[in-house]
Amino acid sequence: MISLRILVFLIMFSSIIFSSIILTILDIFPPQKDVRPLGKYYLNYSYFEHGNITRTAKSPEAVTAIVWDYRGLDTLFETTVFFLAVMGGLTLFRVEKADLSKTRIKYIGMTMIVKQATKILAVLIIAVSASIALHGHLTPGGGFQGGTALAIAPLLVLAAYSKYILEEHGLTYLKAILIRSISLSMIWIVVLMPALNGYNLMQNQPFYPGEIFNQLISGSLFFYNLLEYLAIGMGFTAVFLYLSIPEKIYLEELRSIESEKG
Amino acid sequence: MNITMVLILSIYGIVRKPNLVKKLIALTILGDTANMFVIFIGYRLIYPVIPPVLPIIDQNRLIEFLEQAVDPLPQALVLTAVVIGLAVNCLIAFAIIQMYRLYGTVDVRKIFEKVFPEERV
Repeated sequence: MISLRILVFLIMFSSIIFSSIILTILDIFPPQKDVRPLGKYYLNYSYFEHGNITRTAKSPEAVTAIVWDYRGLDTLFETTVFFLAVMGGLTLFRVEKADLSKTRIKYIGMTMIVKQATKILAVLIIAVSASIALHGHLTPGGGFQGGTALAIAPLLVLAAYSKYILEEHGLTYLKAILIRSISLSMIWIVVLMPALNGYNLMQNQPFYPGEIFNQLISGSLFFYNLLEYLAIGMGFTAVFLYLSIPEKIYLEELRSIESEKG
Repeated sequence: MNITMVLILSIYGIVRKPNLVKKLIALTILGDTANMFVIFIGYRLIYPVIPPVLPIIDQNRLIEFLEQAVDPLPQALVLTAVVIGLAVNCLIAFAIIQMYRLYGTVDVRKIFEKVFPEERV
């Protein structure tokens, strides 16, 4: 009478509640009350020196110090993997035979209220995303989070106005991909510079300055956050621009490939 | 226990649903739940608990900070995992759109019949 799916859901739900009550009453796996020694080490050395300047990252935020200084090679190759994934996606969407600039679909955009609101919001979003990214060594956030927020501003303009307005004002595919590639190569330069001067690869503290004009910038963490912000933001913008090519052009492309083959 | 159930449900969704878009959604749920599980490992169940950010830069307050702050290491590992999951999902979404243009359908069984017309499962 009861179907199999409902029976399975009831069993799962009751087992969750039952096992939670049993585990709490008998105190079988109590949650921890003290940090592991490795976490304590990172919290200890994240800002203060305690005698050895090569162990500190001069940043009051422990998570950013781990991501870009203590485990910096992980993040470097994660950025490269993201770059490769976007490159693979853009290759799948390439357009060779059809002419991108010839077809222009008539789209007047949304109503006046949406357009006025978008004008204010796009500028605000760029300011907030820059604040998230450049304060990555002081508050939670950092390069990647600010980059994903930066890509929302062109997406808003694309939805409220049209894609062609964005291209007429200068944000073409080529520019987005160019800024992304330049930022990624500059990240590699910031990685290699300490090695050419006698320190280790990706070394933060004795080589890069901890403070500039009495403001705390935590050495290389500031440069990594800024370059990652530009790279990720422009990568997502290129993805959105490619996703908004009208479907007519792909049908034309497929038809010309079929006629060439057969 | 709750997280184990969500993991089982998302694996069921990947295996048994024939629509490609639903498989992608279940894969996203699986990745997000695994990251949530890692963050739960780093939490501390004490009363005044603060994130691992030094609020006031003063060496005398370091001991108090060490007794109240949460473990920062799982959060850093999850940041990397989230970005890589996002990159893989983005690439799969591009591939699904291109498959729809080439084959006309997003159903795995019909695509199998179009690609291998002689085989019968």
